[in-house]
Amino acid sequence: MTYSSSLALSRKNTFASRNQNAVTFRTRDRSLGPISNTIILIVLACTLGLLYLTQVTKTNAYGYKVNSLLQQQQQLKQENDDLQVASARLESLDRVQTSDVAKSMVAVAPAATVQN
Amino acid sequence: MPSYAAGQFAKPLKTVLRARLWYVIIMAIFGVFLVRLFYLQIIRHDYYNQAAAVGHLKEYDIAADRGKIEAHSGSSVVPIALNQTLYTIYADPSLIKNAPQVAGTLADVLKGKESDYESQLRTKDTRYVVIAHKATADQKSAILAKKYPGVGAQEQPYRTYPNGSLASQVLGFVNDDGKGVYGIEQALNGTLSGTPGQLKAVTDVNGVPLAANTDNILTQPKAGSNVVLTLDVGMQKQLEDILKKGLDHAKSNSGSAIIIDPNTGAIKAMANWPTYDPANYSSVTDASLFTNAAVADPLEIGSVMKPLTTAAALDTGAVQANTTYNDPSSYKIDDFTVKNIEEDGGPGIKSLADILNLSLNTGATWLLMRMGGSNDTITQKGRDTWHDYMVNHYMFGKETGIEQGYEAAGSVPDPDKGYARDLTYANTAFGQAMTATPLQLASAFSAIVNGGTYYKPHLVDATIAASGKQTNVQPVVVKNNVVSPGVSQALRPLLENVINKHYFTPGFNQAVYSVGGKTGTAQIANPAGGYYENDYNGTYVGYVGGNTPQYVIVVRVNKPKVAGYAGTAAAQPIFGDLAHMLLDKFNVTPRE
Repeated sequence: MTYSSSLALSRKNTFASRNQNAVTFRTRDRSLGPISNTIILIVLACTLGLLYLTQVTKTNAYGYKVNSLLQQQQQLKQENDDLQVASARLESLDRVQTSDVAKSMVAVAPAATVQN
Repeated sequence: MPSYAAGQFAKPLKTVLRARLWYVIIMAIFGVFLVRLFYLQIIRHDYYNQAAAVGHLKEYDIAADRGKIEAHSGSSVVPIALNQTLYTIYADPSLIKNAPQVAGTLADVLKGKESDYESQLRTKDTRYVVIAHKATADQKSAILAKKYPGVGAQEQPYRTYPNGSLASQVLGFVNDDGKGVYGIEQALNGTLSGTPGQLKAVTDVNGVPLAANTDNILTQPKAGSNVVLTLDVGMQKQLEDILKKGLDHAKSNSGSAIIIDPNTGAIKAMANWPTYDPANYSSVTDASLFTNAAVADPLEIGSVMKPLTTAAALDTGAVQANTTYNDPSSYKIDDFTVKNIEEDGGPGIKSLADILNLSLNTGATWLLMRMGGSNDTITQKGRDTWHDYMVNHYMFGKETGIEQGYEAAGSVPDPDKGYARDLTYANTAFGQAMTATPLQLASAFSAIVNGGTYYKPHLVDATIAASGKQTNVQPVVVKNNVVSPGVSQALRPLLENVINKHYFTPGFNQAVYSVGGKTGTAQIANPAGGYYENDYNGTYVGYVGGNTPQYVIVVRVNKPKVAGYAGTAAAQPIFGDLAHMLLDKFNVTPRE
């Protein structure tokens, strides 16, 4: 911008009035060159790629975690089933009947009220 | 800069034309490809997609967990059929390096013979030998921990019955295909088995699903519901023990017994002898052991029918509770003679109490005559009325609908057709010439002693879905006014009288509890015609309670060899023991 054009601009300024200080601006068009653009695009693509990779890795990691938890759940369920079976067997009437406690019990005759 | 003559580089017309021609040809070829691709990929997309899927997309069923079967044990509920994962241990002999060492480990863990395992591991021309079935998780882990190449384990779900043979015929079993057969397992297979899941998966060339493929569709299986039975395991165990002891005493090879709640139709205990262990069903050689004879094997029930005949006669108004009649001690019907046993004495004035206590066949025949409005002849009206009671009131000849496989309906003869109709119907009045299962008898008897309501007999108390939602089964009334409440009330003293006049050790104090019953000694039909001369079935039907009957008991003893009448000598003692067991241990409310 030349002095005259700057002067012309200050004169055109409708907000400027007499005795006010006029400020001169030097404006310049700033633009990125093709190399910068390319680099930015590459950086952006790399960032996006990294983001994508992070997410995919995270998803896979969660997938493995879920899988491992499911396996653990299945194992615990199986253990629970086995314990239920063992408990039911231990409480079975045949076993109770032949247990040491049962053997030491004494048979009691039917209640008197039932008999004539 | 060199100069060129004008037109030096201008293409001749022919060349241009040729180039254009090639251009058109190439474009045409591309066009053909394009059209063809459009046809194949767009228009025929679904067809080829499906054709490709057939090759590499496979569907697999994922078995659902089978529901447990539970039963009451006093105030709590205990499992009587549940699932257990066991393992099949297998080996690939071609990969076994040190057979003696592997066989030694297998013998230590599986408790089998080392030499047997070694010979299995040395089997030629096969890559798969089963070393053991039903290995436990601990055994499997101990074997796999050795990491022997060529030794593996395959998990396999099994149905297990922790109480062994207890209620085996009521439960049934689950076969190798995972399907319930016989008993509850068959009748409620749909409820117990749930809905299998499905895996639609892309597979490799060997058909192995590729786990991480996005095209895989997995539908999770829906576990089956748990079923809580009306049975009480304590009562069931005692019933089985008493039945077995009674059959041994009666020198009988087989029999059945039922305890039912007459006020709801709930079966509290039901058993047959001989029995089997459902977990080892494959070792059973006689398939008849699988059937629950109490619901699947009808018989001519014999004189236990007489309380039902009496109730029908009372209900129709043909007789009153205090009616007496002149019993001739025999009737000639259709050229055959209906008579009583010798101990009943000769002709004389008899009452309804005598008909039941002395078990008079002529008395039951006379009741049939009275139902037809006669005193000495069986009429069509009598036959029709009695048929109506048997079929439409007592529900004989129809399945009860209990949750059991292979229930039998029994049979009731047509009142208006067939040879010797009057004789046949006279026979039905005392439980011959018709058949019913012990369960049908228990249900019908329950109806005449509970005030006149026929409840559908049932074994299921509740179902509990995998979500935890419990659905209780309410008693189902099949028929009200089977007999009037007054008739039911009048019948009970007659049945108590039978107990009082028969010998029980120990006896029953009727002032405290109400115990009534009736014996039956039934002839057995010979498939060749007529009845066997020396074979009888013993039956007993009765109840125990206080002001109202609380339990109804039915006992059946097949072909007992003990001296005396089958009903009295074989079935009655079992009833007595069962009645005492209930009075002593199962909170029967005494009379007020």
